[in-house]
Amino acid sequence: MFTKVLVANRGEIAVRIIRACRELGLQTVAVFSEVDRRSLHVRYADEAYLLGPAPSRESYLRGDKIIDIARQCKAGAIHPGYGFLAERADFAQACQEAGIVFIGPRPAAIAAMGDKAVARQTVALAGVPIVPGTESVSSLRDEDLLAIAPQVGFPLLIKAVAGGGGKGMREVASLEEMPGLIRAARREAESSFGDGNVYLEKLIEGARHIEIQLLADQHGNTIFLGERECSIQRRHQKLVEECPSPFVGDDEDLRSRMGQVAVKAAQAVDYVNAGTVEFLVDKEKNFYFLEMNTRLQVEHPVTELVTGVDIVKEQIRIARGRQLRYDQSDIHRNGWAIECRINAEDPFNNFMPSTGIITHILPPTGPGVRIDTGVYPGFAVSPYYDSLFTKLIVWGETRAEAILRMRRALEEYKIIGVRTNIPFHQKLVDSHRFMGGQFDTRFVEDRFSLEGNDDEKDPNENIAAIIATLVAHRENQRATNIVQRGKRDTSNWKWISRWERMQH
Amino acid sequence: MKYITSIGEREYHLEIVGENQILVDGQLLDLNFDHIEDQPVYSLLVEGHSHEAYVYLVEGVWQVLMHGRLYPVLVEDEEEKRLRNSIGNPAHHSGEFHLKAPMPGMIVAVPVAERQEVQKGEVLLILESMKMQNELKSPRQGWVTHLRVKPGDSVEQHQTLLSVVDE
Repeated sequence: MFTKVLVANRGEIAVRIIRACRELGLQTVAVFSEVDRRSLHVRYADEAYLLGPAPSRESYLRGDKIIDIARQCKAGAIHPGYGFLAERADFAQACQEAGIVFIGPRPAAIAAMGDKAVARQTVALAGVPIVPGTESVSSLRDEDLLAIAPQVGFPLLIKAVAGGGGKGMREVASLEEMPGLIRAARREAESSFGDGNVYLEKLIEGARHIEIQLLADQHGNTIFLGERECSIQRRHQKLVEECPSPFVGDDEDLRSRMGQVAVKAAQAVDYVNAGTVEFLVDKEKNFYFLEMNTRLQVEHPVTELVTGVDIVKEQIRIARGRQLRYDQSDIHRNGWAIECRINAEDPFNNFMPSTGIITHILPPTGPGVRIDTGVYPGFAVSPYYDSLFTKLIVWGETRAEAILRMRRALEEYKIIGVRTNIPFHQKLVDSHRFMGGQFDTRFVEDRFSLEGNDDEKDPNENIAAIIATLVAHRENQRATNIVQRGKRDTSNWKWISRWERMQH
Repeated sequence: MKYITSIGEREYHLEIVGENQILVDGQLLDLNFDHIEDQPVYSLLVEGHSHEAYVYLVEGVWQVLMHGRLYPVLVEDEEEKRLRNSIGNPAHHSGEFHLKAPMPGMIVAVPVAERQEVQKGEVLLILESMKMQNELKSPRQGWVTHLRVKPGDSVEQHQTLLSVVDE
């Protein structure tokens, strides 16, 4: 049985996995790219090895190097986290061949669910409802797609066969705009997954994105840990997740039917370890299989806070061949949890990525607050990887308490050095529709604006005017002081450097 | 010291009376203003009410971020204001448009060529940063010149990538 785990990832998820290992008394090994030498996961791990240059394909996607490192340092297992190599069947296979435990499902299950077109066919055969779309062909040419599109019906979605995380996905309203969108989707899919194949799926309007967390051991036991609501998205990227779903609410029948269907989908591929079955749920509470993520999810903490199950530790126990410590009747919900994904991007400038050195962080603490993060003051956010760098998760007895707690935690969270989407989250959790639980996957794009209501007078505008004026006044005074050379004891250079720093 | 401070259309007339007093549109307010060393974080106590904001200076405009809201604030003294009014707001002349990288990243594709005519809204470049591909579009009709990058190039923020000119 393994006692040392190599974490083949970076950022907050690598830190999260290292924490689980430490609590289980396992040794940890970090791998890192040239720009990640100072990353938190490198600082926290017992051992750390350089992979290569910053671009993922030369570092975190180098499965061969990672396996070599694991062999050399005698790590008995590899945890892939999410993204990078997490859903690469060939990597899981290579681990197996090298005699290293891959903490995740078997290669065949990854492959079956990884090709989204094959996955649709597999689960449909097991009796799981799927969204109508192109069936069971993984490599369609542009002409085929254009010919099939009218049968699927508009609006529709072009999706990457190897897809995930909204990459390589495009929405199509009409046949005319389709060729350009196919090109863009293929290009993005090619660069994200090394596979430009795409398929089509009918766009279900007003749908919610609700997913079921599963755990399956190697002894044939599969259980579900309730659902997560992930409808708050922008450009198909999830931004806020909660557990339970306000849409499922008290409908225990719906919850249990979705859970059972998810278990069925997992069993169709002999699934082992933690996984998530994503569903689209329409207004009439019909639910359709969207895809299965054969890995740990970004949003796993909300389920952990509500069920009390440490999903990452369970993953490791399962990989060590243990039986699940729970059966379905042991799983109960307690309270409500919400997660906000904090990204390094500027919500006031079209969510443009923001890079730079994080100079200060003042994190929210106090009751019911959890932060999963991979950064610290002095750390440089680089353009090479995902903009998600910290997650703020809160728990409350009720949804209302969780929302109010999230509101205060967001206001407390101070991050200096890069722009973040915290203001977006603040506006969102304050909106009536979010509070009322009335939103679908299009809410952010269609009905949400960062601008205030014009008809509402903003009581703080004059405060902003006063603050700006006082800051400008101070700067004017300082500038004047610089002009009056030699009149002070302190060096003018010190003043100048301070003045310059203020400009950034 | 007197200032005319504008947020959008709204103008505020402020006068800093002393260390702890300010006149806002004729109303005298007691305040206590402080700032955390080396951080753009400011604290204002005004008539006992506490407010905290981030303040950044971006291209001459003070961006005040407070309670999740961003206020772009222009602060001028009377002379600056008069000067700006007399110049007026010069309409942006066509001339040259220089496309600058809005963020550091890698050029994924350059769908245009040197001397090619482009229309307003046409994609000039695709820049990848933080795994997202961003289409950079032309704000105007014109011809592409000074194309300085090719697919695979890494670029710095604010680096000029190409220009769009009249002729």
